[in-house]
Amino acid sequence: MKALSGNLIPLALVLGFAAGIAGCNRQTAEGDGRRADGGAQRVAVVISTLNNPWFVVLAETARDRARELGYDAMIFDSQNDPANEAAHFENIVASGYDAVLFNPTDADGSIANVRRAAAAGIPVFCMDREINATDAAVSQILSDNYAGCVALGQYFVEEVGEEGTYVELLGLVGDNNTWNRSQGFHSVVDRFPGLKMVAQQSADFDRARALEVMEAILQAHPDIDAVFCGNDAMAMGAYQALVAAGKADQVKVFGFDGADDVVQLIAEGKIVATGMQFPKVMAQTAAEYADRYLNGERDFPQKVPVAVELVTRETVDQFVGYGRREE
Amino acid sequence: MAPAGGRSGATSEGWSTGLQTFHPMTTAKKRLMTGVTAAVAAVVVCWFLPPFRVVPLEVAQEQSARGAFRAAEFVEAFWHERLLTSVDRAVDVAALLEALDEDPAAARGRYGRTLGLSTTAYFFVSGVGRVVEVQRSAVVLALDEEATSPAVIIGTGPLFGNAVRDGSGLLDVSDFPNSQDFNAVSSEINRRIEEDVLPVLREEAAVGARVRFVGCVELAEATRDPRPLRVVPIVAEIL
Repeated sequence: MKALSGNLIPLALVLGFAAGIAGCNRQTAEGDGRRADGGAQRVAVVISTLNNPWFVVLAETARDRARELGYDAMIFDSQNDPANEAAHFENIVASGYDAVLFNPTDADGSIANVRRAAAAGIPVFCMDREINATDAAVSQILSDNYAGCVALGQYFVEEVGEEGTYVELLGLVGDNNTWNRSQGFHSVVDRFPGLKMVAQQSADFDRARALEVMEAILQAHPDIDAVFCGNDAMAMGAYQALVAAGKADQVKVFGFDGADDVVQLIAEGKIVATGMQFPKVMAQTAAEYADRYLNGERDFPQKVPVAVELVTRETVDQFVGYGRREE
Repeated sequence: MAPAGGRSGATSEGWSTGLQTFHPMTTAKKRLMTGVTAAVAAVVVCWFLPPFRVVPLEVAQEQSARGAFRAAEFVEAFWHERLLTSVDRAVDVAALLEALDEDPAAARGRYGRTLGLSTTAYFFVSGVGRVVEVQRSAVVLALDEEATSPAVIIGTGPLFGNAVRDGSGLLDVSDFPNSQDFNAVSSEINRRIEEDVLPVLREEAAVGARVRFVGCVELAEATRDPRPLRVVPIVAEIL
């Protein structure tokens, strides 16, 4: 037992030292947005990927709002890789950040990162994507993807009709948004037996991947009537494949997000519809919640659904990319 | 670890440093003891705190199924124990329409609820109406004996959306770690309404019949004229 103790003591000292560094770096101050050393408190904005303009808007809006509120804010890009995300959180904890505005890569896999930050006393506020836990983040501000895609599904049936063939491009399979959107859409469309889904494939929310996937699907199913995409980046990739195949006028494209290029193509009649999420609203709300938390408030709803609005040729005049026209 | 002072000569039992005799067997024994002790400790730790467990695939699938959220069971309990026992909380639909006519914002604030950041309001309503029209997938009601203008419409076809889940005011998304489960509840509620509530309207509602209903309404902020209010019923009876 003596030998065991002798071997474990250095390990315990190392772990204790590491924890001490994390704790000592958090020189928090109450209420004035300043740290004990006089510097501004720091907010980390951790984003699943910046390889998509929608997430760039989310990240930059969160960062800018945090700065407006008096914080130093920095963006961390996880590049859709949970390992990168975990490394970011290790750095954030070790560096003693004061709050995290977080867009996770994985609903289950990201929980441990949030818990790690919470254990170090760093509050985490999720944006756009949820984690499958209600006792880790302070609050989660999320698009109501399911309701948005119920509305989109109803419009899909109006536009495509009650008979036809279509393709669905899914997002990241580990993300709840992927399935909430798909389930909302299918809760409507599956009630019409004449509408047949001939292919359903993930394109990882990625435009280039969607282009490849759509090109392959068109080889096997050249006569489809429509494609439903789980986000606008994939809608743009699918549309690009359809243009290249000379089928852009034949196949109706539906997206989800409210990205500026898709809103523009809806106005031009080239894409049929999208669900407008409000990334600026979510990012601003998360930054403001973090500010209120750091000023002592503790009563936050765990989940805050943000309504999604349908953008069609009838309503497109009310919208610009990423929000309502008046925003 | 090299002995202090370096080598100065070898004996049959070890190295003589001049100051002391270094015994390699003793060092090896110490290392062996340390290794054995660490291994025993590791075994003990792993016994009580195993880093992983190997289970048969069938057992894993069974465990996974047990842990999975079962929307049908949840809604079965919710329907009988919470929803139907809350119908007394529903606002009279005529009073709601009157309040919406007078001051829509005030009516929404007083009788409605919103989910998160949204401009859509949900209401829990009840009333008695007279059938003035039967459509292919809806029944249209007036609210008094003389009126012929439609005040309420109840769909009798496929049901979509979250009117009852969100309009009852009894369920909170924050209670559901995975929002897919919350959405599955909505889908199951709709399925139950289609199977248990709507058939009586499809089969028995005729022009002139009186219908008692309790249900939920979803009203977008942009709606200028709320009539006819589209009610998703949890109770529908022909009187």
